[in-house]
Amino acid sequence: MAKHRGRGFATIEYPTGMNQNGDPSQAWIKLKPDGRVDVFSGTVDIGQGSKTVHTQIVADALGVPYDWVTMDNTNTDSSAVCTGTFASRGTFIGGNAVRLAAERVRERIIDIASKELEIDPSDLEIENGEVIAKGAPQKKIGIPDVAGAATYNYGELISGSSTALKPFADVDDSTGQVEIEPHSAISYAACVADVVVDDETGEVVVEKLVQVYDVGRAINPTLVEGQIEGGAIMGLGLGLTENSYPYYPSPENRGGEFGAYLGPALHDLPELDNVIIENPSEDGPFGAKAIGEMANNAQPPAIATAIFDAVGVWVTEMPATPERVLEALEAKREPRRDGKRVIFDEHISVRTVSSNGGEGFLGVDA
Amino acid sequence: MKLTVNGIEQEIFSPPLTPLLHVLRDELDVTSPKAGCQQGGCGTCTVLIDGEPRRSCLTAVAAVDGSEITTLEGLGEPEQLSPVQAAFHERYAAQCGFCTPGMVVAATALIERKGGPVERDEVLEALGGHYCRCTGYVKIVDAVMAASRGQTGAREDEPETGEEAPVMIPGSPA
Repeated sequence: MAKHRGRGFATIEYPTGMNQNGDPSQAWIKLKPDGRVDVFSGTVDIGQGSKTVHTQIVADALGVPYDWVTMDNTNTDSSAVCTGTFASRGTFIGGNAVRLAAERVRERIIDIASKELEIDPSDLEIENGEVIAKGAPQKKIGIPDVAGAATYNYGELISGSSTALKPFADVDDSTGQVEIEPHSAISYAACVADVVVDDETGEVVVEKLVQVYDVGRAINPTLVEGQIEGGAIMGLGLGLTENSYPYYPSPENRGGEFGAYLGPALHDLPELDNVIIENPSEDGPFGAKAIGEMANNAQPPAIATAIFDAVGVWVTEMPATPERVLEALEAKREPRRDGKRVIFDEHISVRTVSSNGGEGFLGVDA
Repeated sequence: MKLTVNGIEQEIFSPPLTPLLHVLRDELDVTSPKAGCQQGGCGTCTVLIDGEPRRSCLTAVAAVDGSEITTLEGLGEPEQLSPVQAAFHERYAAQCGFCTPGMVVAATALIERKGGPVERDEVLEALGGHYCRCTGYVKIVDAVMAASRGQTGAREDEPETGEEAPVMIPGSPA
């Protein structure tokens, strides 16, 4: 009876958003007469920081300072449509919607600036809130002046809207097959877990998680880290404690109250070592992929492999509660059937190779 | 019954066994203490009763008659955050924000009690009964430790913002 240390790892891939169409996000952007930017986006910020990230994307795509941009997603009635905040799609799909809308606004700004400056639009660029003639930076006009001219002189509301949507795929009529790129952008992650397993009580303590996430482009690294840290604790709960129906499908011992559902608390916090890898996606806004829902996927399998490393048994159902760990240890110690020692372990058994896929012997027809 | 809530004396008309949480939220419209589990398990209803952090969902209002109650609203203003609030804001210690009122109130009491820099173990002890689903606690612990060391305000990695230029409306037809 002792405590055993173990280390395990798991890797995951995560497709971003729902794929193969039907998953739109929309955005509409307008310029106030003073050049400030109002963004109406359907994506809802539930605390993950999509408002911040979308503001950054719009500011960069337009070429204006960050604090000129106001996000308005206060209600879903007047906002543009967004399928929802799920599937790690906020930055990738919602971000693409605001980026594309911002690019259209940028075109209108340059068109009006071109009239004001009497310079061809192709010779203009936007930098830090000013439209500047390429190669002649003294010839410029501020975006507030452009917006004012549009409003009061040209009678135009500078605006742009866009929908980010993966298009329908063509169906081949002769075969009925569909040629679809399987995913828009796949994010990858790896997690290494260091655990201590008590073989007397079955208790598992996670001491450290090393987590590596490929997010395409970290538009806001602090928010990315926030998702990784939050996901780590959720993954830890999924791996060790969180269980709505411990004897599913039986409702027995189902948690009926808050305290019966064991989410990790502050004392369960392991040492976290987070690494962000940038592996830009061609489809994402500024190369971004995703870091939302994927952040709690890698910890449970990493913990399971670490338990195997520590005590040599596989816990095949999550969470790895003390009860399940002890059951697995017991089964390893006492492999019995009908009171006899019969050993079958699918992880160590070598199955007989069949010449015809297990169909039976040749020439045995009666 | 009387309570002094965030420095303002209030006459209380709710029945005496009403939880303090509901007196604050429903009678006085002080809504920062959140009704989370309402079993004393999650900590987001925490308020300071005479300076001590207490679960307002488990406290009958009659039991604290005449006390001074401090909630998040009593700590700072949007334009003048308290040190703990500023540290939470600057260090991204809130995501959905539901646990934040209780965390900030309890951390404020911890720092006041200690009167100087608090260590990680002390934060774990003081906030151990506060449940957070989003952040993984990391940035919350960092923020409390930073607040106790006075490390708030503009940080070095943030670009300095210049003087705000007066907003002009250009191109007016006048």
